Amino acid sequence: MEKMKLLLVDDEPRYLETTSKLIERKGYEVWTAPSGEKALETMAAHNIHVVVLDVKMPGMDGNETLKHIKEMYPLTEVIMLTGHATVDSAIDGLKSGAWDYLMKPADVEQIIEKAELAFQKRMNQEEKIRSAQAKQYLKSPREILKQGKE
Amino acid sequence: MTFFPMIPFIIVLGISFYFFSSTLDKSTQASLERILTDHRKMIESFLLERKSDLELITRAYTFQDIMAEGAIGTICHSLQERSAAFVDLGLFDETGNHLKYSGSFALAGKRYTQEPWFQKTMLRGFYISDIFLGYRNIPHFVVAVRRTENNKTWVLRATIDTVFFDSMVSGVRMGKTGEAYILNHEGVAQTARRSGDIALLDKDPAFGWMQNQFSANQQTFQLSPKGQPFLYAVSKLANKSWYLVVRQEKHDVYRALYSAVLICVGIAISGLAALVVLAYFTSETICRRMERLDEEKEQLGSQLIRAVQLAEIGEMAAGFAHEINNPLQIIKSEYALIKILMEELYPGKDTVPDPQTFNDIRESVDQIHKQVERCHEITSAILKFGRKKEVKHTTLDPGTVIPEILKLVENSARTSGVEILTRIEENVPSFMGDPGRFQQVMLNLVNNAMHAVTNQHGAQGGRIEISAAQTRDNEGQTMVNIQVKDNGCGIAPEHMDKIFSPFFTTKAVGKGTGLGLSVCFGIIESFGGTMSVDSRPGEGTVFSIQLAAHENQSS
Repeated sequence: MEKMKLLLVDDEPRYLETTSKLIERKGYEVWTAPSGEKALETMAAHNIHVVVLDVKMPGMDGNETLKHIKEMYPLTEVIMLTGHATVDSAIDGLKSGAWDYLMKPADVEQIIEKAELAFQKRMNQEEKIRSAQAKQYLKSPREILKQGKE
Repeated sequence: MTFFPMIPFIIVLGISFYFFSSTLDKSTQASLERILTDHRKMIESFLLERKSDLELITRAYTFQDIMAEGAIGTICHSLQERSAAFVDLGLFDETGNHLKYSGSFALAGKRYTQEPWFQKTMLRGFYISDIFLGYRNIPHFVVAVRRTENNKTWVLRATIDTVFFDSMVSGVRMGKTGEAYILNHEGVAQTARRSGDIALLDKDPAFGWMQNQFSANQQTFQLSPKGQPFLYAVSKLANKSWYLVVRQEKHDVYRALYSAVLICVGIAISGLAALVVLAYFTSETICRRMERLDEEKEQLGSQLIRAVQLAEIGEMAAGFAHEINNPLQIIKSEYALIKILMEELYPGKDTVPDPQTFNDIRESVDQIHKQVERCHEITSAILKFGRKKEVKHTTLDPGTVIPEILKLVENSARTSGVEILTRIEENVPSFMGDPGRFQQVMLNLVNNAMHAVTNQHGAQGGRIEISAAQTRDNEGQTMVNIQVKDNGCGIAPEHMDKIFSPFFTTKAVGKGTGLGLSVCFGIIESFGGTMSVDSRPGEGTVFSIQLAAHENQSS
C-alpha cells in the first residue's frame, strides 16, 4: 500500500522541524513549507496526500492557501490547524472544503490520526475513481485511448 | 455673588424708609405749624380781649365816675373777675399824672409823662407795652387806652400779670422738649422759656437769624437751622411787634423717625447677616456638591478609560491567544520528541546511546526554554497594559516608549501580513504623559490601522507607518508630532466629523464599543495635546498627535 505523504505548513520553523521529525519517526513521508506560497510550490513538485495547514500566517493565510489547494488538487485533503480559541476560522475552512480541523496546541498523535483518516478517505476516493474508470474501460476500452489523447 | 440677593432687600428697605421719613417730616411740620397758629390766635385774642375790657370801661364810665371815691377799686375788682390776668388799674390825666390807682403798689401820684408806654398811648389811642420793670421794679406789661371826652383826655391803664401770661404762653406742650415763648422786636424774651435757659427780659441769641427770615414778608415760617438742635416755628403777632416762637428739640420731634431708623438699621443688619450666612452656607453646599460631582466625573472618566482599555484587551485577546498558542504548539511537539528520544535511551536497551540523541534532547530543552520565555514576554506585556495603576504623568521619550508598545502588536501584525514601519527621528524631544494611557492610545490607533489595512489588502500589502518628529507650532514652541499612517480602507467623508464622538462605530453591534477614539482624544487632551485625522477613502488614514515638548528636553 502506498505510504502517506504529508505536508506541514506553518510560519514557525522550529515547529516544522520538530513535528516533521516526529512524523517521520512514525514512518511517513513529510514535507514542510513556511508559507502558503511555498506549500503550493512543494505540492507542484510532489504528490502530496494530506496537508496540515496553519490558518494564521503572514502573506497568503491558511484559508486562502486552502482555496488554492482545493482548486488545483481537489483530491488532496487538508487539515486546518487553528490557533484561535474561536472556531470561526475553522468553520470558514470547513466551508471551503477542509477535511477537519485541529486546535493548537495539538498532539502529534492527533495530527497523525486525523491525517490517517484523511488519507484513507483519499485512498477510498482514488479507489472509487479507479474502479469507476476500470468499469468504463471494461465497457469501452477505447476510452483509454481517448484519455491518453487528452 | 453673595451681595446680589441684598440689592432688592436694600432697595425695599431704602424706599420704605424714605417714604416713612418724609411722611413723618411733613406731619411733624404740619403739627408744629398748627400749634403755632392756634397759639398765636389764642394770644392775640387774649390781648384783644384785655384791650376790649379796658375800652369797655372807658365807654361805660366817665372820667368823673372813675375819679369818684372808691370807684376805681370796684372797677378793678370787676375787671379781675372777668380775667385773672389783671393785676391793677390806674387812671392818668393827659399829662401823665397818676390820678387814681387800685392795686398792691404805691403808685398813685407818680408822673408818667416821659414813660414810653404813656407817650405811645397818647399817640395811638391804645397801647400794649413790652415787658418792663417800671417804678415797681417788677417785670410786667401794661395795656393802656386813651379816652377823649368833652375835650378832656385821660388814660386808663391796666397791668397784666406776667405770671398768668407766662403760664398761658408756655402752656404749650409738645413731646418732652416742645415749648413756646414770645420775643419782642429786639429779641428780648417776653415770657420765660419752659426749659429755663432764657429768663424773662433775656435776649434770645437765635433772634438774629429769625428776624432775617421775615424779610420775605412771611407771617409764619419754620426751619431747622443746621447746627441747631431745635426745630423752630415763628409767627408775628398781629398788631404787635412780638414774635411767637415755638420750638422743639429735633431729637424729640424725630423720636419716631429715629426709632424707625434704628429699626430699619436693625432689620438691615440682621437681614444682611442672615443673607450672608444663608448665602455662605448655600454656596458652601453647592460648592461641595460640585466638588463631589467633579470627583465623580473624574472617576467616571477614568472608569471609562479603564473600560475601553479592557475592551481593547478583549479585542486583542484572540491575537494574544494565537501568540501564546504558537509557542505552546512548539513546546508540545518538543515534549513529544523528547519523550521519544528518552524512550530510545531507556536503560533496558543494550545499544550504546547515540550522542546525536543527547544533542537533540538538549536542543529541544533549549527550545522549550526559549518558547517559555516567549510566552512570558507576551503575558507580561498583556499584564502591563491591563493592570490598573495610578495615573502618573512622567516624561516619555518617544524613542523608547513607541518601540516598546509596538512589541505588543508586532507578532499579530506579522501573522496578519501587515508591515509595521517605525521612523523615529533622533532629536525627538520628550513629552509629559501617563505611560499606560499613552500606550492605550498607540495600541488603539495601531489596532484600528490594522483593521483598516486587513480590510483593504487582506493578508498581504498592508503597511502601517509610525513616525515621531520634532515640529514647531504657530507660536514657535517645540512640539512632538506622532503619526500613525496606514494604507488601509480609509474613513468615509460622512464619518470624518464623528469619529471622535463617543459611541460612534462602524463595526457591527457587539464588535466595538465606539469609545476607543473618543477616549484616545480625551487622553491626548489630558496630556495637553491635540489629535487630528486625515483620511482618503481607499488610500489610507493618518492620525496625528501633537504634544508640547517637555521643557528640560527641548533645547
